[in-house]
Amino acid sequence: MNDTWTERLSEYIDGTLPDAERAALEAHLAGCTACRTTLDELRRVVARARALDDRPPAADLWPAIAEQIGVSSGAHHVVSLAERRTRRVTFTVLQLAAAAAVLLLLGSGGAYLALRRPPVEGGGAIAQRGPAADLTTSPVGWVQKTSSRYDAAVAELQSALEQGRASGRLDSATVRVLTQSLVTIDSAIVQARRALAADPGSAYLNQHLADTMRRKLELLRRASALAPART
Amino acid sequence: MLLNIAAVITLAVTQQTDTTVPVRPGMRLDVDNFGGEVVVKAWNQNSVRVQATHSSRDRIDVEVGASTVSVKAESRRGIAQMVEYQISAPAWMNLNLHGVSTDIEVDGAQGAVTAETVNGEVKCRGGSGQVSLKSVQGAVRLQNAKGHVDVYSVSEGLTLENVSGDISAETVSGDISLEGIESASVEVSTVSGDVTYEGSIKDGAHYRFATHNGDVTVGIPERTNVTVSVATFNGDFDSSFPVSVTNTTKHRFSFTLGSGSGRLELETFNGDIRLRRPGQLHDKHHDDQEDH
Repeated sequence: MNDTWTERLSEYIDGTLPDAERAALEAHLAGCTACRTTLDELRRVVARARALDDRPPAADLWPAIAEQIGVSSGAHHVVSLAERRTRRVTFTVLQLAAAAAVLLLLGSGGAYLALRRPPVEGGGAIAQRGPAADLTTSPVGWVQKTSSRYDAAVAELQSALEQGRASGRLDSATVRVLTQSLVTIDSAIVQARRALAADPGSAYLNQHLADTMRRKLELLRRASALAPART
Repeated sequence: MLLNIAAVITLAVTQQTDTTVPVRPGMRLDVDNFGGEVVVKAWNQNSVRVQATHSSRDRIDVEVGASTVSVKAESRRGIAQMVEYQISAPAWMNLNLHGVSTDIEVDGAQGAVTAETVNGEVKCRGGSGQVSLKSVQGAVRLQNAKGHVDVYSVSEGLTLENVSGDISAETVSGDISLEGIESASVEVSTVSGDVTYEGSIKDGAHYRFATHNGDVTVGIPERTNVTVSVATFNGDFDSSFPVSVTNTTKHRFSFTLGSGSGRLELETFNGDIRLRRPGQLHDKHHDDQEDH
């Protein structure tokens, strides 16, 4: 793969490449399968990020959780993905993949908190939580940059879930199912992280890990919303 | 003797409620139930009949508002624990059904349907517009619906049959099966389970089927125009018809069928991806031969 051209693919997608360079890149693409494949993958991740449902966090427990962690749900302006799309930022290929992955995380309500939660000092809490934490000692790329905030959001939601269990609002069978499901997702996250560590440039593995992390946040968000159901 | 006494006690505390209220087109039916069952069947009358079996300590409230009919049970001790509802409602009526330890069943709806429960199955035949079915501990099954469809479970599988419209189906642990689908937008994912799809692959449309642990099997009709992207970390790809792979990276490759105007993404981290002609989708013999 031609690194020079690969680095210009995001500008090409953005439409910011000067005419001469665009023509040269298109000529290169015509003969380079690897670059065409990379371009296709980048277009896919960007398209998927753009297609995300920009739902606000669910009601129910979210105001309480937000209050708990010092976030006033009404006091902060939530920047919509539509607003974000109006900003033009040029990334390298891996940065673009990382940005798309972060946008995938933004698709869940949990990222609402993740983006506003102050970073965990030293990330100390991460190592205490489940098998997924084992591999955060050697994360790669965007995972390293986003994991502390992601884990903070996960921790807050798990705490809310635990409160729901302790207060009896969630029965033990439901908590058991949710816990087992979280173990299933954590196991998938561990496997995806291991694979990504071995092949950090894989667009598929980046997307897959982001998807799986998003699912964990989504499950926790839904579970937290269930907690008041028996009141 | 003990059984007889128990039966007598049960009969003594069980009560039947049967109430019918008139409704106008455009009204919505809201039902909240903690435990038991909610069954809603469509009928050809502009009225809602609520039949409930419940404890004599509970009271069934049927409130008719300007735009809704609200059904819920109240107990002297707070929330009524177990109520079995059999409700007849006009087919056009939008349904908004919620439960905790409740099975939910809808038959013959022609309006929007929202059905959510924590512990219980959700079955829906019919529905149009927005159709949203969710359960934490329970399978979800949707048949003969059209519109914007969103089905979700945490620990069980999802089954969709004869459904048209935009479809989103997601579970954590469970298989997802879609048959007889007419859609230009399908997004399906599970963490642990197989995914099977049989339905239309339209020009210019987008389909995504993903699992972490499981196989993905998709029926591809003849003369389909789609660009197929296949990604697997640990698994094989098998197609019952010839394909010409064009773009290949370490974990992903793609190929084009016909004009390639549609987009089909197939992903499994641990599992196989199979393309079949629709008639071969349940051909176990073919798959067994491939496995050997």
